Amino acid sequence: MNKTILSIILCLGIALPAAAQPGMVRGTVYDFDGSPMPGVSVVVPGTTRGVITGEDGTFSIEAAPGSSIEFWYLGYETLVRKVTSDGSRIEITMTLSSDTIDDVVVVGYGAVKKSDLTGSVASVKMETIADINSTSVDGLLQGRAAGLQVINSSQDPGSTATIRIRGNSSINGSNAPLVVVNGFPMGDAGALTQINTADIASIEVLKDASASAIYGSRGANGVILVTTRQADEGMTSISVKHQTVISQLSDKLDIWYDPMLMAQVTNEEMVNAGLSPVYIGQTIGGIYYPSLIEIQSGQWADTDWIKYCLRTPVTNSTTVSVNSAGAKSAINANLNYFNDQGIYKKDGYGRFNANVGYNYNLFKGVRLSTYTVLSFTDRNVMNGLEYGRNPLWPVYDENGDYFLSGPTDFGHPLVRLSDFHDRIKTTDILSSASLDWDIVKDLKLHTQFDYRYKSYLEDVYQARTVSQDAFDNNGIAKINAGFYNDLLSETYLTWNRTFGSVHSLSLMGGHSYSWNRNRGLYTTARGFVNDVLGNENMNASDPALRQIYNDGYYESKLLSFYGRANYSLMDKYLVTFTMRADGSTKFGKNNKWGFFPSGAVSWKMHKEPWMSALPWVSEWKWRVSYGISGNQGINAYQTLDRYGMEKFWHDGNWVSVIGPGYEEGRTGANDRYFVWGGIMNPGLRWETTAQTDIGLDASFWNSRFRITADFYHKDTYNLLREKYLPLTSSYDKIWVNDGRVLNRGVELSLGGDIISTRDWHFAADLIWSLNRNRVLNLGDAVSSGLSRDELNGFYYEVTGPAIAMFNQNASILAEGMPMNIFYGYQVDGIIQEDENPGFIDPSALLDRPGELKYVDQDGDFAITSRDRVIIGDPNPDFTASLNMRLSWKQLSLSVFLYGVFGNDVLYNGYTYSPRVKAKRWTPDNPSNDFPSLNNIRQYYLSDYFIQDGSFLRIQNINLSYDWPIDGKVFRSIRFYSSVDNLFTFTRFDGYDPEVGLDGIYWGGYPKFRKFTFGVDLNF
Amino acid sequence: MRKTVIIILAAVFAASCSLDETPYGFYSGDNFYKTEEDAESGLMYAYNALNYLEYLRGIWYVGDIPTDDMYPKSDEPGDIHMLENWTVTSSTELTHYYFKYCYIGINRANAVIEKISSGRFSEAVRKRVVGEAHFLRAWNYFNLVRTFGICPISTKPIASLEQTTSPLASGLMEIYDLIISDCKTADSLLQVNKVFGRTDKVAAEALLSKVYLHLASSKHYGAPSYTDLDYNADDMYANAAIYARKVVQDYPSDYGFDSRLRHIYDVTAPDGPEHIFIMATDRSGTHEGMYTKIPLQFLPNNSSVPIYIKYPDGSLQKGNGNGWGVFLINDDFVEGAYLATDKRRTELLHHSIYDQNGVEITPSPVRGYFTSKYVDPDFIGERTSARPYLIRYSDIALVLAEAAGPAEGYPLVNTIRARAGISPLPSGLSLEDFRRAVINERKLELAFEGNRLFDLRRTASVTSTVQEAASLTEKEAAFYPIPQREVDLNPNVPSTQNN
Repeated sequence: MNKTILSIILCLGIALPAAAQPGMVRGTVYDFDGSPMPGVSVVVPGTTRGVITGEDGTFSIEAAPGSSIEFWYLGYETLVRKVTSDGSRIEITMTLSSDTIDDVVVVGYGAVKKSDLTGSVASVKMETIADINSTSVDGLLQGRAAGLQVINSSQDPGSTATIRIRGNSSINGSNAPLVVVNGFPMGDAGALTQINTADIASIEVLKDASASAIYGSRGANGVILVTTRQADEGMTSISVKHQTVISQLSDKLDIWYDPMLMAQVTNEEMVNAGLSPVYIGQTIGGIYYPSLIEIQSGQWADTDWIKYCLRTPVTNSTTVSVNSAGAKSAINANLNYFNDQGIYKKDGYGRFNANVGYNYNLFKGVRLSTYTVLSFTDRNVMNGLEYGRNPLWPVYDENGDYFLSGPTDFGHPLVRLSDFHDRIKTTDILSSASLDWDIVKDLKLHTQFDYRYKSYLEDVYQARTVSQDAFDNNGIAKINAGFYNDLLSETYLTWNRTFGSVHSLSLMGGHSYSWNRNRGLYTTARGFVNDVLGNENMNASDPALRQIYNDGYYESKLLSFYGRANYSLMDKYLVTFTMRADGSTKFGKNNKWGFFPSGAVSWKMHKEPWMSALPWVSEWKWRVSYGISGNQGINAYQTLDRYGMEKFWHDGNWVSVIGPGYEEGRTGANDRYFVWGGIMNPGLRWETTAQTDIGLDASFWNSRFRITADFYHKDTYNLLREKYLPLTSSYDKIWVNDGRVLNRGVELSLGGDIISTRDWHFAADLIWSLNRNRVLNLGDAVSSGLSRDELNGFYYEVTGPAIAMFNQNASILAEGMPMNIFYGYQVDGIIQEDENPGFIDPSALLDRPGELKYVDQDGDFAITSRDRVIIGDPNPDFTASLNMRLSWKQLSLSVFLYGVFGNDVLYNGYTYSPRVKAKRWTPDNPSNDFPSLNNIRQYYLSDYFIQDGSFLRIQNINLSYDWPIDGKVFRSIRFYSSVDNLFTFTRFDGYDPEVGLDGIYWGGYPKFRKFTFGVDLNF
Repeated sequence: MRKTVIIILAAVFAASCSLDETPYGFYSGDNFYKTEEDAESGLMYAYNALNYLEYLRGIWYVGDIPTDDMYPKSDEPGDIHMLENWTVTSSTELTHYYFKYCYIGINRANAVIEKISSGRFSEAVRKRVVGEAHFLRAWNYFNLVRTFGICPISTKPIASLEQTTSPLASGLMEIYDLIISDCKTADSLLQVNKVFGRTDKVAAEALLSKVYLHLASSKHYGAPSYTDLDYNADDMYANAAIYARKVVQDYPSDYGFDSRLRHIYDVTAPDGPEHIFIMATDRSGTHEGMYTKIPLQFLPNNSSVPIYIKYPDGSLQKGNGNGWGVFLINDDFVEGAYLATDKRRTELLHHSIYDQNGVEITPSPVRGYFTSKYVDPDFIGERTSARPYLIRYSDIALVLAEAAGPAEGYPLVNTIRARAGISPLPSGLSLEDFRRAVINERKLELAFEGNRLFDLRRTASVTSTVQEAASLTEKEAAFYPIPQREVDLNPNVPSTQNN
């Protein structure tokens, strides 16, 4: 059968006419969508010869072999072709110029003109982010599209970003959008490290159901489409780009800089706790703690630990691109080496990427494209060095050995630097081949085949000097490996036809099949004679202390059929309908197939006669869409029954015993109780999102000022949740579909070319997004195990990480409230001397002067769990960004501001911070803001730890100069320098307010201010 | 034509891609219980349910703490004091987990019974595996019915949401009938096969005798809920005697009295003559459940320095020094119930600890009497091989004595007393007095082995014996409430059940 197709292709190819006439060059010009393009100017530069292409896009012009021919059309890029000596035909496809308002927008399984969009799709201008350095491409999108929330809360080398489109909608499933690279779905957004920024032609963000529902059961969180550059036809070009980034801390680290103050404070917090002071000139556990007087004498070490832990990180990135195209084929290759230093010594990340795209026109109308990515990364993990170590402790003891406060002091940075090893290497191969075939006029076939392989290898060795576990067990070695395989086959047909000038219809239909398999192998060994070999020979360990386990193995298949119909009446009224059917092995037996329809209508009001009379309106288009999309949420095998395995002592031997019910987790104090899962639920299905979007695209004065506004209502139901089962079932929980979350919001993008003269340009884009999130339903209160707030009566469940400081989880999910709100006590200042705190603490500890004055909400004169209320909301009121570009001739300056407003941040460890401790309450300093010191105080989670996390950041300033030398070697040179994270306006007391979605500040990896210097050379 | 090609291509893809999911890397109903090895493994998974901390600790938390023999240390966190003080509610954590693990054991046994009864296995394997599974199901239901009374009944493995709400038994007898039928099935399928940690025909008969005795005595002594049941106490005594007699008399080469008292509890000899059913654990395991921490519950804390117990003959026994001393034995119980010369007091109960040279440690960290029934001298950290007896020969000998009466009972009781170094029971006791004497002997012989509460309940003497329960009625003390989660989520269980 395949042979049949091949022979058809061959026949067509042979049938092509190959006419050649000396001096005359003939050819056809095609529009970007493949249709013949009439009216294109075809000129031979330096001569007066010029023709216009005919109705069928053909032309013939006299040109000598070796000379150039230029193709020009308003709003399109000007293309140049060399005439070959054999005078063969020129087939050329025009591309829209990047500054044309009517950009082509890539949508799922196709592309449309921006003006014909019926759904909510945001395009990211690549030039605005091309100079910014980042591990993952998608992390660069912060503030670049309305409704797109990007959080870069970590500066860890190699760290990735958290990305959300229109809020969180899932509790147990993923909330990350789907990333699709050249039609190949790559999974959750945030970690797209394989693609070099320089190789990206466009990024589109599909936000509403009309745009994303074509991705069916993976579309509910929105979709980010990444399209890489295709080699432009024309001359060969080579470019080299290099940038160097030098980083510094953006704020002072919160540690003890004054040892005297530290000692005073330490003594005070011990005494207040009823313990003996430490710094009184005594030896505890072999360590001498000098008295305050001795410290004051200055004879004691004042070690600057920062110097031993941190450095000025330098990041380098070099890209070499080669771009070459002939009449039949084109190649686009990119090599990038990226080396990112962390601020901790030895902490680093290196990456080598090679992206190669190749197009070949097999025959007229048949084009073969391949795209291959090789990516190797190497991460050396060295974080958590104790820069806040006691400054009174010297680096070395009197024998010249490292000074340790005891045998289990694992905090010495130099020891950790030499004895802690953790290295992660990954290999990523992505290979894609596609075939585009213009079967007949109006009918096109696209078929593609993608394969991705990723491997992961982590080597860990902890010598006995770096952790308690390693100390107790004589070293820990690990080798962890993971292997991922993805395969995709996709074929679709597109049919376009315009009937007269009134009706235009476009149909697309296709299918895809994807297969995915992951495996993991984790090995741990302990008990080494010495640390010499590290993890090089796991067999050198104690055989009784070896563990092998594999996890993360799964295989899944997804079979899909999809289609889209676009109909346009008089280019004024547009209708889109999409449909996708997804069948997945992951879904329960009774729900193997999911159907995801969407529809949208759009009205180009500016084409109505009464409005077209207004000359200053260039565009006024309404859009309304509604659709259903899904979130796969379910893991492979989650719907099946799963047996457990234990070891049983049988007649003097351990045997593996197997049966129904497997350990899904642990619960209770010290995790002592098993949680039993493994009962099948064949009815388990995807999470469903129904989304309505109403949008407006408008532009004025020749598109000089532009506005896009969207309102959306996104209702997610059938949320995957675990329900408790009766005890007699022998299972604890079963996965079911219940629960419901609503997101509503408004997005606004304003853009304007405010000044546009020959030499001066000033443009600005303002992006503003507002999202309101609400949990509507958490299932039945009893079977879901919901707790009830006794004061206000709402039902909730705790969520998020447990926080040791408070001995509880910070956040809850509560019906009728936003996700992840903070729940705890209210504090009304500090209890002062002779003040009645309004409650009595049975232990007489918390109602003393200097303690936090908790509010007794229920008026029973005791602080109990009934006094808890909602104390904060980590979800921002709105986010906004402003991008301004000013250019004068070849010099341009851009400033990018990004802000998040109205969110609360939980400052974990606030009262442990030296800055705060120094300002403590004492009888002589009766502060109402800071409690007294107490080394053993148990803190309750209260609004005392909640701060306003709003910030406005000068995120990036970039100054660049294009030097169009047009010389023999260089065509152009561009220099630029930029500053990232120059300054942050915030009231937040911690190091940096940009924290994860749950709003919890952990300290963590300090954020940098980055200075970038770059040069782009084009040959 | 081209469309046809596409459609055919699509169809080929569709056919090549079945959406059925096959388990990868784990066992499930689809790929297990296929071979005889699977059958054995599945059966031992059912045994393994007994080993989880949640269930294992119930031996003492349910069997002894609520009674007159033991009490918890006062600062022990958790719900243990609710058991001690007879304030257990439907929310008590300890009874919640005990209840749950009875059903985990039942579900695992049900799976074995269903899958192995029908598969292609050799007759020998099928009989043994299914027989032992019936035994285990009976064992778990017997724990349930004695602890909670009327409970939901499930006799099929639970594999779907629809099956998770088991019906409530119509009455106590429905549960007892199931237990008796399971024991009889086990008895008929099994051979005598004494393997450490497993059960055999003898275990089934032993359990059956205990079940009959529980029914007989409950009725005889007027235990609430049993008085109205439709059976005759003497018939049940007779049934108990029939099966206990088999255990005591028919298998002398495998089962009998261990003449050396301390040897019964020697962790190096778990397969001694008294062994009918013992928990299979070993200190070489990697997590609790594979090994046990039972000694830590009993032994005092000696700041992690190993302690030594000194026996009257001067010999020393090493034990964990990192004990928690949670289970404290009532002074009254030791000093009032045992004769001063009773070896079960002098050799198994202690009030002092010693160092390796036999010098008494002072000041002593011992807070009350502790027992050396669970001491593993070869402990590794907190890991020990201390294993509780689930059924032992002396228990069944006393069942026979109680059920059959003085004629058959005197020699059995007196053998046990002789082993303990005390004089025989006074002769000529009436049947009633003799039974009382046997029950008292059970208290002494089987102390801290998880039997006491059930002996008190079946003789309707909880409230008269246990100080903390004095204000309750015997009916209130008869059962613990069904845990709240079951009441909330199983519509078949009324909220008033056993409350």
